Amino acid sequence: MDLLHFMVIMGRLSITMGKLIFNYENCTGCRACELACSFHKEGVFSPSKSRIKIVRIDEEGLDIPIGCEQCDNAPCLTACPTRALSRNSETNGIILNPDYCIGCKQCMVVCPFGAIHFNEERKIFYKCDLCDGAPECVKWCVTGGIEYCEDIENFSKRKSADRIQHFLLNLPKSTRPIGTGGGKK
Amino acid sequence: MTFDYGGYAGKTLRIDLTKGKIIKEKQSKQRTEKYLGGRGADAKILFDELNPKIDPLHSDNILCISTGPITGLLGPTTGRVNVTTKSPLTDIYGNSNAGSDWGSELKYAGYDNIIIKGKSQKPVYLCIDDKHVELKDASHLWGEGIFETTLELQEELRGFDTKVAAVGPSAEKGVLFCSLIFNLWDAAGRTGTGTVMASKNLKAITVSGTGELKVADPDKYLEIVRDGWQGILNDPGFRSGEHQALGTPICVNWGDALGWLPTRNFRETTFEGADLISGEEFRDKYSTRSSPIPGGRACMSCPNRCKRFGRIESGKYAGTRGSIEFEGIAAFGSKCGVSDLEAVFHAYTLSNDYGMDCISCGNTIALFMELVEEGVIKDEDKLGLKFGNADAMVEMVHRIGNKQGKLGKLGAIGSYKAAQKIGKNALDFTTAVKGIDTIACDPRVAKGFGFTYAISSRGSDHLRTHVVFEMIRMPPEIGKELFGSEGACDLLSYDGKVQLVLWHENLAAVTDSIGSCRFMHGSYYAQYPIPELLGKLHKKKKVNSIKYHDWISAATGMKIDYKKLLEIGHRIINIERAINSRFGIRRKDDMLPKKFTKPIKKGPRKGQSFPKEQLEKMLDEYYTIRGWDLKTGFIKKSELIKLDMKDVLKELEKENLVM
Repeated sequence: MDLLHFMVIMGRLSITMGKLIFNYENCTGCRACELACSFHKEGVFSPSKSRIKIVRIDEEGLDIPIGCEQCDNAPCLTACPTRALSRNSETNGIILNPDYCIGCKQCMVVCPFGAIHFNEERKIFYKCDLCDGAPECVKWCVTGGIEYCEDIENFSKRKSADRIQHFLLNLPKSTRPIGTGGGKK
Repeated sequence: MTFDYGGYAGKTLRIDLTKGKIIKEKQSKQRTEKYLGGRGADAKILFDELNPKIDPLHSDNILCISTGPITGLLGPTTGRVNVTTKSPLTDIYGNSNAGSDWGSELKYAGYDNIIIKGKSQKPVYLCIDDKHVELKDASHLWGEGIFETTLELQEELRGFDTKVAAVGPSAEKGVLFCSLIFNLWDAAGRTGTGTVMASKNLKAITVSGTGELKVADPDKYLEIVRDGWQGILNDPGFRSGEHQALGTPICVNWGDALGWLPTRNFRETTFEGADLISGEEFRDKYSTRSSPIPGGRACMSCPNRCKRFGRIESGKYAGTRGSIEFEGIAAFGSKCGVSDLEAVFHAYTLSNDYGMDCISCGNTIALFMELVEEGVIKDEDKLGLKFGNADAMVEMVHRIGNKQGKLGKLGAIGSYKAAQKIGKNALDFTTAVKGIDTIACDPRVAKGFGFTYAISSRGSDHLRTHVVFEMIRMPPEIGKELFGSEGACDLLSYDGKVQLVLWHENLAAVTDSIGSCRFMHGSYYAQYPIPELLGKLHKKKKVNSIKYHDWISAATGMKIDYKKLLEIGHRIINIERAINSRFGIRRKDDMLPKKFTKPIKKGPRKGQSFPKEQLEKMLDEYYTIRGWDLKTGFIKKSELIKLDMKDVLKELEKENLVM
């Protein structure tokens, strides 16, 4: 048994490489994905129970989808002391097993994207599991802000980097103050 | 479920600012059954609780902010929030509607609506954070613009998760047409709702919610909503790119081509500089995003994304940024004869930051320009006021916003009251109906719009019906089938227009009351039964459509069919009429200003007018169908009994306001 196989069995790596791709340029901030996610997973409409989140920056007219990137070398996987988090070898999704979870919130702390949410009321974590390979949020996204790529290995990495770089470089530079002069300042 | 019906959050929030008291009460079941929510329920609250004789800026005036049963439930275009009060601008029923995701957030926090009374001793803001509702000190925000206020509150509270509704410095100073502005760019613009809020020393309302909403029949609900989304995405109007490509600013070139774009305070109906202030120009020069939807931003769960975000990078107005809409471009652009898009955009964001309604602000400036050119008033502040002077236009926004200078002070009371104050023949130049000035579409060309202006419950406004049927060249067969006349779909024809307006008005009342957007009702998008009729016409087998009756039923669990839906709309129109009767509105107020009864002098629509006799004839037909008295405009007793509004009848009988 080679290392790769071993990692697949241990739930550290998957064979298919599914992933959500967030196109910041395309997102209009309608938050349909949030509602679709919470309804699909919990049967209620509630953005706070959604696995995906849209950050609406009204000041600059930006809308940024934030969700789990299913990192290859995922900090949450490493941080989880009880192996409550594991990788689904069929979809590449990192999945949370609530039975093993002790609620230490380590995963939430180490996630560089802020993609793991904790619900105080229900005492559970919300974490994107790619809906077993058919993500509900993608079905409701009409602008192409979220796409599902089943074979991320073949997704042009350069293209992806270019896109993010283009987006970041084109971010409006100055923020406040707006030149409208109302008020004291 | 805490409430008897699904979709609703189930609670009403009552704020008494004088005593600093906050009461959470259960949503009224009876009210939601009869009036659904939003605009309808607000009107009922105002009818029941407001003393009609008070001054709108008195502490006893009531400010209602409310959502509907389908707000925030994944349905297309369901991000609306309604604001209702007695308007300081018109002194009658005032109501306005805004987008963004503020309304949905209020529902996630657990409240369908807020009823605000009284007046606080010192400036406060209302902080709603799920169960925790608190009035907090806002003296550090008093005098700040919308921009600073909103960002400051977001920083203080939960960052981008906090949604803010704020009023600007102009509202504090008492400019009569101020808006309540949600999340920086979405305004409940008309009728001066912001002025009322500021008069109560309430600077802002912040909301963040983590709760959940349930629907009565989840499986069926999802199916209906999916059909609705598909209906919009397959709609020819949407696909051909109107909202997909340009948002509402597309109307600049469109209105110019069809000859209804108000130019130089409605002197003409085409503008030679339309190209320079068009949606295309804005997209190419100022959109912050290049593709695929340039600058497009959406309200809560909306496929329409009609807002266009842009930014001026260099030059005189560098740093100006914001979401732009057609009405704003027309108000500061064509109506003032200004063809400098940067100045228009700047004036637009300025009036937004001051917290003023851009339509009324632009109209007032346009009126002053015309009055100066006609020699009725003098350019007392020496600004060089004349059509086309962009600098004077921008300066006037500052002056009105700060109530500075003679014309600034005069402009702050709105165009109609200003014209009254000026006297002479100034009123002949106003475009106001019931005290509020007209939006950007000439009623002499678009007859359905014209009739709407006359009958609207809040005064000259198209959004009470939004009869774009006549503008998009709907097949005449549809007009025949739905409104009994092929002419109903023709811009210049009067045939079938009363029926067209009636149908749209009823549905508009319903859509406002359930929390859905005007762009989705009737008109050209996918609302039942239009796709079905078009499908029959083009022999299509499968059509997608938005069936509001099924949608509301599945969400709430009420049993509402298409017929009952129209009846609810009719009831909402009647409750608004009842309130307006109390405020003194009679048949003579359902009119068009003198300006529109005279023919257009120039351009392709030369000679078109909306004669008084024609309007009277249409009013007769309209009143008869509505069940209103032909002479006074009061509602008939029999109509109120038929609509199961006996409580309203009882009150009106006491005041002799019913026939």
